[in-house]
Amino acid sequence: MAYSDKVVDHYNNPRNVGSLPKADPNVGTGLVGAPECGDVMKLQMKINPETQVIEEAKFKTFGCGSAIASSSLATEWVKGKTVEEALSIKNTDIVRELSLPPVKIHCSVLAEDAIKAAIGDWKKKHGIEVQVAEKASH
Amino acid sequence: MSTAPTSTNTPLVCWNCHERTVGTHFCSACGKLQQIPQSLDYFALFEMPKKLWIEMDGLEQKFLQLSWKLHPDNFVNATEMERELSLQRSSELNDAYRTLRDPVGRVEYLLGIEGERKEGEKKQQAPPELLEEVFELNESLDELREAKESGGDLTALRVSLEAARGNFQEKLVEVDGQLQSAARDWDAALTADSAARKKIMARLNELLNRRSYIRNLVTNVQKELL
Repeated sequence: MAYSDKVVDHYNNPRNVGSLPKADPNVGTGLVGAPECGDVMKLQMKINPETQVIEEAKFKTFGCGSAIASSSLATEWVKGKTVEEALSIKNTDIVRELSLPPVKIHCSVLAEDAIKAAIGDWKKKHGIEVQVAEKASH
Repeated sequence: MSTAPTSTNTPLVCWNCHERTVGTHFCSACGKLQQIPQSLDYFALFEMPKKLWIEMDGLEQKFLQLSWKLHPDNFVNATEMERELSLQRSSELNDAYRTLRDPVGRVEYLLGIEGERKEGEKKQQAPPELLEEVFELNESLDELREAKESGGDLTALRVSLEAARGNFQEKLVEVDGQLQSAARDWDAALTADSAARKKIMARLNELLNRRSYIRNLVTNVQKELL
């Protein structure tokens, strides 16, 4: 199967590969997987609690070229965006940008899920933290 | 065949004698080999109820009987229509046998005909409690590949990967057990209401996903350990 140039580019030069400290309260981690192909994708972002801007994003994906490209693109897109903006990224945007064929659409779904999971994790951490901080101040 | 099909009862019209026929494979009126009815699923083809526990000897017996009856050798001197049908039906019979013989393939097939498992349509989630382990395993696999390329020391990596393989193989055995028990639930609920059956099918689907995920992992580890 022929991959689009953009997929090949992201595959050969993946952006933002790596990891962020998971325990950092400002880091949200999203770990998702697709059972049909065994792909697993970890997406992490460092979010400024004041501005809610995503300052840094890293990923590591074990999977096919499309899964790697989708997550690489996702990290590029979320950087500099606010949490709300990042949540509005749809898998169809990724499909369009990378010209993914129908059989690879689930890779883009995985990337969208990873963004949502990472932000969810950050929100959870944040929520718990706010409560703890409130308790502490009383 | 004297028995009526179990799950398809729509009367069909024979292509040869134009009579309504109730035979699964041959016309009940003129005895000619029939086209594959669209509604005929693999269970009905073997004239079995849609149960997940299948007695293997019985299945094999029926397969051999049907193979014998539908075999193209029997139709060498028949019309072109019958020769073609015999080919089609024999190949379908082989597919059906292969599918039903495999306990996992059987469940996949059942969920497919019940509309509970469609390729790519439903978003299937990987078992979240496994993801951490899966990720770590993949990282170790990567390390092993790199070490192999650079000629590094593989002993420690091998030991940890073998442990991981053992761990996932155990999980595979566990999920197979769960699948078996869910299959028994399905058989027991054969006449239950559709909500109850849907619930069991959802469970079966979830277990199948889990199984395919773990299986892929075990296969990958095995490849690297060779």
